[in-house]
Amino acid sequence: MQGLGIDVLFKGTNMLRLLKGLWVSVEISLISVVISIVLGLIVGVLMTSKNGALRLLFRSYLEVVRIMPQMVLLFIVYFGTTRVFGINISAELSAIIVFVFWGTAEMGDLVRGSIKSIPRIQYDSAYALGMNKFQVHFYIVFPQTIRRLLPLSINLVTRMIKTTSLVMMIGIVEVLKVAQQIIEANRKASPNAAFGVFAVVFLLYFIVCWPISRFAVKLEKRWV
Amino acid sequence: MDIEVIRSYIPLYNEALLLTFKIGMLGILTAFIIGLSGAAALYFKVPVIGKILTAYIELFRNTPLLVQLFFIYFALPKLGIRISAQTCGIMGLGLIGGAYMIETMRSGLESIDIIQSESALSLGMSKGQVFWNIILPQAISISIPGIMANVIFLLKETSVFSTISLMDLMFTAKDLIGMYAKTIECLFLLVVYYLIMLLPVSILGSVVERRVRYAGFGD
Amino acid sequence: MKKNLLTKVVTVLSAATLGAVALTGCGSSNATAIADGQTAKAASPDSSVVYRTVDEIKDSGTINIGVFSDKSPFGYVDENGNYAGYDVYFAERIGQDLGVKINYVSTEAANRIEYLQTGKVDIILANFTVTEERAQEVDFALPYMNVALGVVSPSDAVLSSLDDVKAEDEIIVISGTTAETYLEKNYPDIKLQKYDAYAEAKTAFENGNAIAWANDNTEVIAFAIENEGFTVGIPSLGDADTIAPAVTKGNESLLTWLNEEIEAIGAENFFHADYEATLLDTYGADYENTLVVEGGKVQ
Repeated sequence: MQGLGIDVLFKGTNMLRLLKGLWVSVEISLISVVISIVLGLIVGVLMTSKNGALRLLFRSYLEVVRIMPQMVLLFIVYFGTTRVFGINISAELSAIIVFVFWGTAEMGDLVRGSIKSIPRIQYDSAYALGMNKFQVHFYIVFPQTIRRLLPLSINLVTRMIKTTSLVMMIGIVEVLKVAQQIIEANRKASPNAAFGVFAVVFLLYFIVCWPISRFAVKLEKRWV
Repeated sequence: MDIEVIRSYIPLYNEALLLTFKIGMLGILTAFIIGLSGAAALYFKVPVIGKILTAYIELFRNTPLLVQLFFIYFALPKLGIRISAQTCGIMGLGLIGGAYMIETMRSGLESIDIIQSESALSLGMSKGQVFWNIILPQAISISIPGIMANVIFLLKETSVFSTISLMDLMFTAKDLIGMYAKTIECLFLLVVYYLIMLLPVSILGSVVERRVRYAGFGD
Repeated sequence: MKKNLLTKVVTVLSAATLGAVALTGCGSSNATAIADGQTAKAASPDSSVVYRTVDEIKDSGTINIGVFSDKSPFGYVDENGNYAGYDVYFAERIGQDLGVKINYVSTEAANRIEYLQTGKVDIILANFTVTEERAQEVDFALPYMNVALGVVSPSDAVLSSLDDVKAEDEIIVISGTTAETYLEKNYPDIKLQKYDAYAEAKTAFENGNAIAWANDNTEVIAFAIENEGFTVGIPSLGDADTIAPAVTKGNESLLTWLNEEIEAIGAENFFHADYEATLLDTYGADYENTLVVEGGKVQ
């Protein structure tokens, strides 16, 4: 193992620190996903509104999220907001803001898509049976929408976790930064640490994301 | 904002845009080739290759590009495999993009009704002819929205290239901020240049998507 | 991150809405983006005070200090997860004398000015070389170390003069360091390979991605001592500079406090003790007097 540099992970608390770093990423993603789902539901419903101005607003919001790299958004929020508004936002909060900004758009679009995918005839039949508007939405539309949404939003979790690797760039000490610190502190004793440590980080991400995305695929197959 | 500062930075951003676009396009091309051949291999259920491809897809879809690049660029040389930054960027983009493209194109291929190939075969076409002339054209046009989404995703992903010393748009902005601290100007140019690069692609995407949707037939 | 989750969530929600409005403006057309920038100028950074005075820091009980976390032996994290190094040794003393806890913020070279200007840290203690350009953006306290630039290269192909660099050769620098600015200015023809972080640059250099690495000479000398097969071909380049703590421009109270602190602990030869505790293993005793600046007075 010496040659591959995996041994450094068993020194001191190195492995534990790496896992803690991973938890930082996962925590940021989980908080962001929960908020994104709530906001996304609201935004998604608003996107189906008949108000043209509102639709245009959300359309351009979606477009911005679609074409701006998350890293650019992170820099704008982390450094830009303090410059422009004089508000100081911590790196963690900036990351959550960016991920929520991005996640809400994605979720909103998914919600809009699944609401739209419910055939007109179901509404008509429900009304014909004497249901009121609330009943139609609560008993007919939402249950079906949520079934369609669940696997997609689980997918969003893995994408968020993967994107959290960028937060290193705004100074959050997450798994990649810890990896670099370990490599740096052991450069002399273990010159090949870069191989072992980065390989382990690669695997850690896979171990976290793979089961989640398998789960999403399973749900999708069963429900859609 | 200082217009003079912006003007003096523009050549640097132009250079970065070219590099980002060049590596992005080469990476996307690689991804497309991997995607097409991989999807075909899965479609024809080539025995061993299918298993390998599935493992590859799962591995690359479930890890971040940044980590993949770190591994290729910083870790592999420890085993004696050394790759230049540009090749590494193209490779990384091609590998992660390939994994996504295979999935997109495979579902395109599978969406073509089996009756079409059966009819074509009964008309006396060879298996190859059926694939090239009947299945593939339809599958690609069905996959185009997905492919375009992948293209935009991959172009955006280039923003992590700074870590492997490629002077892309993101790194140029960061580097200038580090040297001269003109944050607002640098971030402003960064947004503008990403818009210049990605807005046309995004618009093209929606135009093509609309066309393809109308070109479909059947239901 | 747990007990004030609710407050955080509320802030996120409101900030997200704010951000959404600001950014959609940016995205819909370039014209609005320019307008956006102009409002930015109106509310220029000077109008709002981002820094904290000594009293405010004492009241809060915590000081935020920006250090490197991957630049051994000056600022790094040891295998138990604790910050350590020459800069950190000094930071610990500052915390002790102010009577506050220290919150270390891990910084990259290119972010150092930004962190101060946005008030994200109170002090930068990240091997920050004093230069004229930087002094326009931040306020430097008295120096605590000497530095010049240096270039290290593999021992089998030592680079002893920058004039020997061939057109196709590349030299590694770290984004936002004095080495980068110096080479850009004085050797515009040399191709630079830039990295964000020390750890990345060193690994790339070790891997043989470039013919040499230019950085503070303290750093390259340490690298050559610690890693076999590397030689410092150019031990001193450019002007002799100093390294000093920096605070946000205009933060008089903290600046004065720091200067008095540096003078006061100079009386007990604090930085020599610092050297012996953190740098001796790397440099040996030979460099002690050339590197250390005691009491803020350059010899």
